[in-house]
Amino acid sequence: MNGRAVAIVGGATTKFGVRAATWSELAQEAGAALFRAVPDLEPKEVDSLFVGAAMPERFAFQSHVAPLAAEQMGIRPTRVIQRTELACASGQSAIRSAYAAIATGLSDVAVAVGIEKMNLPSMSEANSAMACVMDRAWDGPAGATAPPFFAMVAQRHMLEHGTTEDQLAAVSEKNHRFANANPNAQFHEKTFSRDKLLHLPLVAPPLRLGDCSSMTDGAAAVVLVAEELVHRFSGARAWIRGTGQYSDFHNLAHAGSLTDWPGLRRASAEALEMARIGVHDLDFAELHDCFSISEIVEYEALGLCPPGEGGRFVAEGRSDLGGDVVVNPRGGLLGCGHPLGATGIAQAVEVFEQFAGTVPPARQVPEPEWALVHNLSGSANVHSVMVYRRGRSG
Amino acid sequence: MSRERRRARTAVVIPFVPESPDAPPPPTRPPVKRKRAVEARPFLLDFFPLETESGTRLARFFDRLREGRLSTTRCARDDLVLWPPRTACPRCHTEELEWVDLPDRGRLYAFSAVLAGAPLGMEADVPFAVGLVDLDGLPLRLFGRVEGLPWNELEIGAPVRVEPYDTEDGRVFYRFRATG
Repeated sequence: MNGRAVAIVGGATTKFGVRAATWSELAQEAGAALFRAVPDLEPKEVDSLFVGAAMPERFAFQSHVAPLAAEQMGIRPTRVIQRTELACASGQSAIRSAYAAIATGLSDVAVAVGIEKMNLPSMSEANSAMACVMDRAWDGPAGATAPPFFAMVAQRHMLEHGTTEDQLAAVSEKNHRFANANPNAQFHEKTFSRDKLLHLPLVAPPLRLGDCSSMTDGAAAVVLVAEELVHRFSGARAWIRGTGQYSDFHNLAHAGSLTDWPGLRRASAEALEMARIGVHDLDFAELHDCFSISEIVEYEALGLCPPGEGGRFVAEGRSDLGGDVVVNPRGGLLGCGHPLGATGIAQAVEVFEQFAGTVPPARQVPEPEWALVHNLSGSANVHSVMVYRRGRSG
Repeated sequence: MSRERRRARTAVVIPFVPESPDAPPPPTRPPVKRKRAVEARPFLLDFFPLETESGTRLARFFDRLREGRLSTTRCARDDLVLWPPRTACPRCHTEELEWVDLPDRGRLYAFSAVLAGAPLGMEADVPFAVGLVDLDGLPLRLFGRVEGLPWNELEIGAPVRVEPYDTEDGRVFYRFRATG
């Protein structure tokens, strides 16, 4: 790995959900929560700000959001200020950019914040915004949004590998159960048995309501620092040890088999190689479960199980506490909601808090050393991966 | 949801305050002359692409579609049929592309349906089926709306044909029709 080592030394998220708060108010909440969570951080020493925001132009009628977020958070960047947009991976994109800036010496102390306001009085308008993630001119006129696309992934996976609705429900049951121990989750008071999940209404067959992440308002922020400055922060660290990204296609005509995601195989292999570990060294993983089927395909692409066996992997509890690797102890996108730009940052906050040992016992991974975070974006056409290792102060 | 209902949901209620009897009469204003009709849908929330020569270099696609022909561009140098139609080859980057007709028959590779959460302007279509279709005789898989059968009567491998359809404002797009 070239350049300076970079660690996350703290982070915070707002409450996720249908929030009576504007985009700017969510930015203020994230700033207040971050500086409360990291008391060693002085606002004036934050030299750079990276803002993950997928579509504030659509959802908040606001562009030029990076300086707006800086002002709302009480930060005056002197080195780098920019927004990162990569749809559902906008948050991780902010962290990767902050990492790159620090590693190369352009920044010493950077904040990566993700902010998304998605719930509008008109949900049709919000759904139109989501459709813009696809190739709007060619896929859009048919009504292409994420649910029917991932529904086709599920349909093919069922056909090719015998994956069942019950196995899809196992993903949703697990992640909602973890979300119940996460007070910031959108659905932290909902308990779904597999049987109940199988009787929820269909959204895009075979996917039911419980198989789909939701439209969510929320924000999250982390602070990243260069290795020379880490000593100034007490508490845990999450060292960035590897990262990888791969962009495969965009128009749905080029989506290939649907059930094999070579971009994730490549991005994760690159990130793990950079960290010099194998996938079985991971203690937990925050995977992009925008839909239940996504998590199943991701197990396979990561190599946690052989191709086609993702459904069995989750149904047998191998991605649960006590299994091979704990997947989505935060509650996932299914349980926490999916405020596009904030999701990747909230996953990094979870990694930090798991390493710090500060999450509620019901979702604490025992003594974690290595973690992986994955975000897909769009129609699983881009995959972004980070690998973190636990560090201690002093 | 209709535009009226949406407006009603988001409307700001201004309380009515009666005027006092000795208030001066309101100034008379000339009637407002409307310059042009309000567009049916804001341009940036319109799913149908620009279709004429004033807005796209691919107008021929829509002209041919109006005649019932599904076509696309092909790079003769690389012997590549390019979907969606393009103005430059992604491999050799030549801008000298030719138009070719595509097969109008194919089979469903995968499908689903939108039962909730439709975008603006498509709410009345719910439920509607969408699918990926392998065109006959070409390694080309197109995404589109699937008509002709209810979604729960469709099957993987089912034959479909391509057909043009007119939007309410005179533009055109393609969709698939299950032929059973």
